Amino acid sequence: MGRRRRLVDPAAEAGAGALPKVIAALSRSLPAGPSPEIFRRAKFDRPEAPALWQLLFRLLSPRSADGASASLALEAQVCLVKSALRSQGYPRLVLAQLPEDGSRGSRELLLALSWLLARGPLPEQLLAQAHVQLGDEIPVCECEALASPGPRVPHVEAEGPVDIRCVQWLMGRLRFRWRCLIASQQEQCTLLSKIHLYTRGCHSDQRLGHLSVAETEMLRDPEGGQQGCGGGVGQSLDLAYPKSLHSGQVPEASGMMCGWCACGWVSAHPPGSLLEMQPSLCTSCALGCFAFQLLRRLERENTGLEAALEWRRGELVFWRWMDTVLGACPPEAPAAATQPTFLPRIAERGLGRLELAARELRALQEELCEATGRRRAAWEARVGGQGRGPQWSSARQALQKAVEQELAALRWAWEQDRGPARPHGPHRLVRCEDEAPGGQHLRAAEVIQALRSQEACLEAALRRLQGQCRQELARLAGALPGLIWILPPRC
Amino acid sequence: MLPADCSRRLVAELQGALDACAERQLQLEQSLRVSRRLLRTWEPAGTLAPEARLEPETKEEDHSPACTPGPQDLKELELLTQALKKAVLARKVTSKAGERAKAPSLKSGSFATSPGMTASTPSWAPGQAGSCASEAKPTRGIRQTTVPAKGHPERRLPSAGNRARVGVGARATRPGPGLRDQHVALSAAPEAPESFTLKEKGSLLQLPTAFRKAASQNSRLWAQLTSAQPRDSTNATAAAKTYFLQQMQTASGRPGPVLSAAEVEAEVGRLQEACSLLRLHMKEELSAAPTDWTQEYRCLLTLEGLQAIAGQCLHRLQELHAEQPVAPCPVGRPSRAPPPCGGGAGPFWSPQLLLYSSTQELQTLAALRLRVAMLDQQVHLEKVLLEQEVGRLLLNGRTAG
Repeated sequence: MGRRRRLVDPAAEAGAGALPKVIAALSRSLPAGPSPEIFRRAKFDRPEAPALWQLLFRLLSPRSADGASASLALEAQVCLVKSALRSQGYPRLVLAQLPEDGSRGSRELLLALSWLLARGPLPEQLLAQAHVQLGDEIPVCECEALASPGPRVPHVEAEGPVDIRCVQWLMGRLRFRWRCLIASQQEQCTLLSKIHLYTRGCHSDQRLGHLSVAETEMLRDPEGGQQGCGGGVGQSLDLAYPKSLHSGQVPEASGMMCGWCACGWVSAHPPGSLLEMQPSLCTSCALGCFAFQLLRRLERENTGLEAALEWRRGELVFWRWMDTVLGACPPEAPAAATQPTFLPRIAERGLGRLELAARELRALQEELCEATGRRRAAWEARVGGQGRGPQWSSARQALQKAVEQELAALRWAWEQDRGPARPHGPHRLVRCEDEAPGGQHLRAAEVIQALRSQEACLEAALRRLQGQCRQELARLAGALPGLIWILPPRC
Repeated sequence: MLPADCSRRLVAELQGALDACAERQLQLEQSLRVSRRLLRTWEPAGTLAPEARLEPETKEEDHSPACTPGPQDLKELELLTQALKKAVLARKVTSKAGERAKAPSLKSGSFATSPGMTASTPSWAPGQAGSCASEAKPTRGIRQTTVPAKGHPERRLPSAGNRARVGVGARATRPGPGLRDQHVALSAAPEAPESFTLKEKGSLLQLPTAFRKAASQNSRLWAQLTSAQPRDSTNATAAAKTYFLQQMQTASGRPGPVLSAAEVEAEVGRLQEACSLLRLHMKEELSAAPTDWTQEYRCLLTLEGLQAIAGQCLHRLQELHAEQPVAPCPVGRPSRAPPPCGGGAGPFWSPQLLLYSSTQELQTLAALRLRVAMLDQQVHLEKVLLEQEVGRLLLNGRTAG
């Protein structure tokens, strides 16, 4: 398609038909999208709210909680949607005032949906989350790991102080587990590398050149996947939160005999049908077949992708329409004072973080002040005697400029959230021996370099924090007289 | 002893870390199992059904050649022969079906077409299955595999309910390893090794057509979607969206965009990162030994610039602090703000490749990833400890002061 952007003029489109089509495309590209009719009725605030609440819930709930949260009651979903929107900074207060039972407010929900759509490429992000991973995937950043739910809410029974030896023991256990993990993963790397090597030349896609473990497994055992390995052939290299190829569905046990046709239950499958993949199985067996399920998921994703493309092509019509929806809303009453709930423990944590950052910066500033003071004094002493010729001033200006640019680049590094060009997300591993430089694909060597520098940063940060911890403990000891602290040997 | 509430959170975090590690280990081991199995010889999974195994013994005993079969025996023999014939026919159908299922493993094209039963060297030799039916001799082999198909449906019914067992039973009708052994013994033609290993024949594999089509369409669509991303800010659609967002803001009657809790946390995170980067730079500058006056001056300017930036960051933090009388934390959020890696308004992720050139490189990459994750976790734990302490100090200060 290239970079051409067709400016869609609604008048030039096929008249009134364009909007429902675009909305239908949007619906198809979203999970659990409602019909265009619901959208239309929502503009007039008809009672279509529950469907929209559920859609918003689906869009806003964290991906990992999908299975458990699907069964939440509508009230709970409403609550979560409200808080999620608030935390994202949704400007309108009407939403927060909608009833908890989810019965009203379809127009407001429509506005909320559009607000989310306007802020970012929502359908594409959702499709990316649900993407069927056929290859051996490795994440090149840690954002997936961090986005998963953190440590469970502590229903910790530890009343009273905890022996520090217990903490040390736990830390030792943790270290041991990490070591085991690293060892297992090294083995997995070797195996993976071999499999890639042996299946050289099989893949129809030239870029890839060889099969992944998942694809090979599918060939070895097309209807398997439910047997033996306990429900998954998800083949990500570091299986932190992988997307297993096995969708986790267990096929219903069919009452009839669906063996391998000795019972004669197989009928000829219509050519071109999805069941073609397993002509030797009767319908129910074929449907349960792992390879078939995979294919079905792929095709569903393709449908979603096509819908997203169609949506992108025609979305201007939608935005013009949303302007009218917003116009149809009654003007909002001036904001009543918002009442954020005061939770002391959380406030403590939030304050703690801010304060921590402020302290670090202050300490840094002091150090810098000291260092620059010294250097400046030394410089003045050294240069003060010499004259300030024109040569000197031009050289000085050049230096100033150079330093400014460097510092600007430095600022950009953190202001841009580490830069949009930084690769992230799971990448499919491909073994490729030729050293052809460039190309649009990421190379392992680059990632290794980035990881090494990250490692160095983290090690330095850890050392500093450990030092700070020790200082704080000492301070605490000072603030609470009568307490004797026995600091543990540095582990 | 650690103070109670401080240690509670620390222990909880440690437990969480241990659990997460254990989970990763489990999944990794699962992957290892699958990979190891792939590198071994490929055999039809599962063994012959126990029922099937029992049968041959009894049948053999039955049919140890009797000298003079009586009329009763003759009748039985006739019945048996007929049953066997039927079974052989069914067996043929089965093995054809079985071949088709195995066909994608050979370079024979799509599923739909019946592959050449005379499969060439790739030695799964489904053709052998066809020939087996015509061989009178390996009765034992046939019996082994056809007894379940012999029309004793009642034997299979109990297992029909459970798909796994059906699968196992079904396997029994495929040319099992035992059968193949028979072939090796009986067939005249020298047979290529009857087992399939990835090492020897991996390059002969081919994915089924339907699958290939879907996969290539998938990558094509993703490429289209990525290139269709509007990067041009003068684009009409982008303008319409911006306009809509502005209208939403003004219609709400609020003075201006108030920073949400998430944004504040993100900004604090950014400023923390700024701090570490500044510190890193400072170290670099201080450790560099300037050789001439230009370098010395440059170093001085850099340090002064860093100082100025640090001051600005601090100022920003103080602003944030002032804006926030409390720090409302929506229910159920993880305590770590995930760095918005391409999320939000940024470009979305699309399927990408990572090229590696050797096992060594892959191992290094994986090991480094784990090391970074581990360090990250350690840093987080230290921060937890510190946050708790600092918070307590502040509260203590307030109550005492």
